[in-house]
Amino acid sequence: MGESKNPEMKFLIPIGLLLLFPFMRIYGGEFARGSPFDALESAFLIPLIPLLIFPIIAILGQVYNKEDWWKERFKEGGMIAICGLAIALSLSVWLAIQFFTQGTGDEDALRWNLFNWISFDVLGQTADGTWVTMEQDIALGVGIWVDPLSLMLLFVAAFLCFLICWFSLGYMNTDPINEDRNHRFYAEFVLFSAGMLGMVLADSFLWLFVFWEIMGLCSYLLIGFYYERPSAAYAAKKAFLTTRVGDVFLLIGLLILYDLYGSLDYAVIFGDPSIGGTVDAGMLKWAMLMLFIGAVGKSAQFPLHVWLPDAMEGPTPVSALIHAATMVNAGLYLVARMVPFFDVTAHGSGVEGLGDVAIIIAWTGGITACMAAMIAFVQNDIKKVLAYSTMSQLAYIFTGLGVSLWLFNNDHHHAAVIAFGASMFHLFNHAMAKGMLFMASGSVIHEMHHAHDHVSDPGDHDDDFDAQDMRNMGGLASKLPVTATAMAIGSASIIGLPLIGGFWSKEGIIAETWSATALYGASWMLFPAFLILLTAGMTGFYMTRMWMMTFAGKPKSVFAAHAHEATPWIRTPLVLLSVIALLGGFLLSLLGAVHWLGEGESLGSALGHDGTLMTVLETIKHAFLPADTFLLLITWTAVAISLVLGPMMAMRIHGGRLAKGESAHVGIAWLLPLSTRFGKSDVTALANSGVADALQRRLFFDEWYDAAVAATVIPLANVLAWFDNRIIDGAIRGIEWGSQSISGEVRKLTTGSARDYILMAVVGTLSIAALMWRVAV
Amino acid sequence: MNDLTTAFGNPLSLLVLLPIVAGATLMLVAWAAPPSQRKDLTKHVRLISFGLSLLLFVLATLMFLESYSGIEWFSLNLNEYAYENCTTGQIEAGACALISGIGVSWHVGVDGLSFPMVWLTTLLVPVSMLVDWNAKKGAYFHTLLLMMEGALIGVFVSLDLFLFYVFWELTLIPMFFLILMWGGENRRYAAQKFFIYTFTASVIMLAGILILYFFTSVPLWEGNITGRSFDVTLMAASATTPSITFLGGFGMQKFVFLLLLVGFAAKMPSVPVHTWLPDAHVEAPTAGSMLLAGVMLKMGAYGFIRVAVTLLPEATIHYTWLLLLLGMVSLVYAAWVCLGQTNLKRLIAYSSVSHMGLIFLGIATMQPLGIAGALFMMLAHGLISPMLFAVAGAFKHHYHTLEIGSMRGIARHSPWLAGHMMFGCMASLGLPLLAGFVAEIAILIAFWMAFGWLVLLPALTLIITGAYYIWAMQRTIFEGGAEGELPESLHGEEPVDITWHENVGMFVLAAFIALLGVLPFIFFDMMSGWSSTLVENVLLAALNSMGGGP
Repeated sequence: MGESKNPEMKFLIPIGLLLLFPFMRIYGGEFARGSPFDALESAFLIPLIPLLIFPIIAILGQVYNKEDWWKERFKEGGMIAICGLAIALSLSVWLAIQFFTQGTGDEDALRWNLFNWISFDVLGQTADGTWVTMEQDIALGVGIWVDPLSLMLLFVAAFLCFLICWFSLGYMNTDPINEDRNHRFYAEFVLFSAGMLGMVLADSFLWLFVFWEIMGLCSYLLIGFYYERPSAAYAAKKAFLTTRVGDVFLLIGLLILYDLYGSLDYAVIFGDPSIGGTVDAGMLKWAMLMLFIGAVGKSAQFPLHVWLPDAMEGPTPVSALIHAATMVNAGLYLVARMVPFFDVTAHGSGVEGLGDVAIIIAWTGGITACMAAMIAFVQNDIKKVLAYSTMSQLAYIFTGLGVSLWLFNNDHHHAAVIAFGASMFHLFNHAMAKGMLFMASGSVIHEMHHAHDHVSDPGDHDDDFDAQDMRNMGGLASKLPVTATAMAIGSASIIGLPLIGGFWSKEGIIAETWSATALYGASWMLFPAFLILLTAGMTGFYMTRMWMMTFAGKPKSVFAAHAHEATPWIRTPLVLLSVIALLGGFLLSLLGAVHWLGEGESLGSALGHDGTLMTVLETIKHAFLPADTFLLLITWTAVAISLVLGPMMAMRIHGGRLAKGESAHVGIAWLLPLSTRFGKSDVTALANSGVADALQRRLFFDEWYDAAVAATVIPLANVLAWFDNRIIDGAIRGIEWGSQSISGEVRKLTTGSARDYILMAVVGTLSIAALMWRVAV
Repeated sequence: MNDLTTAFGNPLSLLVLLPIVAGATLMLVAWAAPPSQRKDLTKHVRLISFGLSLLLFVLATLMFLESYSGIEWFSLNLNEYAYENCTTGQIEAGACALISGIGVSWHVGVDGLSFPMVWLTTLLVPVSMLVDWNAKKGAYFHTLLLMMEGALIGVFVSLDLFLFYVFWELTLIPMFFLILMWGGENRRYAAQKFFIYTFTASVIMLAGILILYFFTSVPLWEGNITGRSFDVTLMAASATTPSITFLGGFGMQKFVFLLLLVGFAAKMPSVPVHTWLPDAHVEAPTAGSMLLAGVMLKMGAYGFIRVAVTLLPEATIHYTWLLLLLGMVSLVYAAWVCLGQTNLKRLIAYSSVSHMGLIFLGIATMQPLGIAGALFMMLAHGLISPMLFAVAGAFKHHYHTLEIGSMRGIARHSPWLAGHMMFGCMASLGLPLLAGFVAEIAILIAFWMAFGWLVLLPALTLIITGAYYIWAMQRTIFEGGAEGELPESLHGEEPVDITWHENVGMFVLAAFIALLGVLPFIFFDMMSGWSSTLVENVLLAALNSMGGGP
């Protein structure tokens, strides 16, 4: 506990490691075998090091969690964790550098095989039904696979893991409620990092699944970090079981894929997804659907979305990392991995007739986007708003991917690549912005807590106070200037303010969905296209509402009036992420991220081609004034409703100037007077209506699911337990009762004295042994 | 007349005989000691028993390491074994005869099927001794465990079905006493039920073995009156040439198969002959439960594969539907029953039934991968369920109750116990990177290849498996507010965490579960080699002659 005088000094260690570790590997290779190890050969360490750190922190922490040196010097395990994550980050960057400088050559990806996990033979059957001898020595292997898609997600994961661990060092270790158990947090945190980094580097669907489940475990453990709260224990259970429903289908998908291709390696499957045109397309369609159900569970999409809002029971860094920025992207990653199956253009060798699955994906995305945004309208818990926003933005990406897969499957290569690149690009922008928003919300919650502890009598804890409830906040823009500014930037990125972060990718998704509908004849895409356009406006509303409720107007509680930004440790990660959220989108668009992600065109090639200024102008022109009139219309409609209509309505309800004498950060100060310019609307009637109530109760999904389980699973289990005890065992007991006369004889031997039994046993055993000996000799 | 060094100068014979003889001797010493010295003596006997069992573990591990470099498991045929004490020729000459008159030989050996089980037994015995270190009457308790080890290993290494049967019955005796003398309140009923149940089943199995015996002729050796042999390698030789006339025809083969199935299924146990297991577990002491779940249940699966599948391939294929049915019902039904349990040990016991169902499913696929998965399940479950029973035993020991709903927030008071419980449950519900997952994925892949969409049933059951473990943890170690809710059975005592030896024992199991989950090829390749041989040499011909298969 307790901040030392210069907390930043501590970061010299991990930052030193960050720089040194790749060099250690290089020179280690020189030393060990005479030639340096390269980044690809070191890539297995990226997940392995956090994985090995997990038991170290868990066990050391459990043994020494009362010791001063553990708390002060090791920050309850946090220092070990951040060192490990620093190494993972440095190796990831090194891998990225190698990828950009050397490329993949003729291959699809950089590959490195580690070992054969299990090997076996398979018994085959010929067409006439004869069982023939086997295919020998098939192996399920372990290896590394690096292509633009995995590299992008690897960087996002490694960077955010490192940054949020940094944030946690302050956030977790200063909260008295976490005393003596932060080692659990850091242990599970690094295990999660191992899972996420392993999943993106895995070279087969099998190992994707392996790490996928590890992440699920960590999500469960970290949601239940405050296990003594029944709500947290319940939320953890709900998250685990809901995602497990998806996981089981994912597993079935793997079984089908294995049966079709005789392997689960990307190299084998993506090498020829149609097996020379002989693959059973009907079965492959099922496999795709099963994989998609797995993705739906993990990424909290309709109808398996119910776990994500409850997952906010976990500590805020967990919400930032797992439930916003990384793990929930795993489902998207899986769907993005399905592209080679769908790609029937000249560039791929996919399978025709999978368009239905793409439509299902897009519809699921559209429905979830709209539904989550609606529910976000009425949430008063700052983290829940962000949770629903996460769900809604992930749904955007699913829609984009669905559209892209449909286009791939209908031979529209160029459009498909743009849609795919835009989707993955949105994943990046959203991860950065949402990770930062959650950190900022953590800062708000932390300060509200602090103010509450400060203002109210110590010992007189009224437990009703909810530090996360936005109805207790208001006017914080002047109290928490850095947080307020960061949150404004993050919200702008999520809303899609032109030129900032998410704008570039979100516009891309909306435009491509509409153009697929209008230009390429995907009439089934009209519904999701309409929904996500609508959602763009809704996003503008609920994000503005959240910001206004928290930061604008007068303080709504005495605690909000006393809050102040007293947390130096939050600043660095927050500022860093704000810059990325602000500029990252634009810069990466300039570099051609969409094309790089979509078709592996080298990053920055456009820049070299046309010159910097021209590229900037071209990019902006392409975004705002597309050549096609229809797209122009869609773009400006989206901008209009998301940027004008939605925020304006939110400001009418929640906007307001700060109290007299207070002033906000210069970057956002103009927002507050502006928010009062659109008049006021009273929504009390609407807030009390049945619609609001239905939204408050999350459209009844949780209630329906609980009722369904309570009505079927639990009674059936109880009936079967009774049946087993009474009927099956009862029948056995009946037979036994019939043979009482025999057991009566046995019973005479059971005198109840231990010594008698022992003697009998020993004599019996020895006489058998003696008999055997005699007979043998 | 016969060469004793051939018969007993073999590491496997040592593994069998040393613990039995040493255990019995130590027990006699303890029994004969004057009461004044008993306390000291108990300590020494306990230590010696533990030391001996550890020594056996080292021996088995050394054998494993040597076999890993020196033995090509893939090229062993079904009638060949590693560490065999006599060759077929020697047996036919009577050189290893134990009871010459009826053709019983001391023939031991291991292969990819039995070796993992032997190693598992030598690991589990010292661990369970450690976990139950302070059991009452320690001089008897630990020596009984030691004797049990010898008997269990005897079951797995004997290649003579007479010996197999003797050891099979011999394992019942220590377990019977463990339950009867160190058990819970209802121990008499449980011990009796356990004994009668498994004894009846094994008599039925014996009938099957005897029929096999009477159809296995060997050249008469000196003193062999019947001209028959119990030797399983000789039986296999007469079974495969030509197989359809073995036992005088297919009808008899089917009959013998069913006899064996009843005997082995009751031991595994499979629904509907499983109800002895929950009672036995609830009453058994911790170490007893660990060995019961870890090794004794595997005897059923082991015997089934070794005798029924290997000797009667046609009947096995004929009754694939029955295996499928038994496996599926055990898996699905037991999982649902688990969900309705309130006693922690009963829950784990039913989950054992559920997991054993997967073994039948693996065999029913008739794929090397599925059979190897079944074998790996035997090993994985043999590590995981003892860990869970150690956890349950710790609850009984430190909180005096096994009722799941009677406490909350135990993680606050016993963080180590909670951690181990979490690990055990996660391993059992099939978390990747832990041993159980390897078996599951292997069986399910093979199952899809053989039966297609029928895989939905076992796959969806995985959700139920997750549900009962997660739910059980929620209602014991989680919730309960800042102070937790202690069970009434504690009567206001201060709650404590597990002792260091319980902790070490659980850590050892956890370490091996993780090791085999990350690097399963250590054992899996040996097992898949064995399964390939089985399928190639035995089942393939039968599949084609039956014209069917899954």
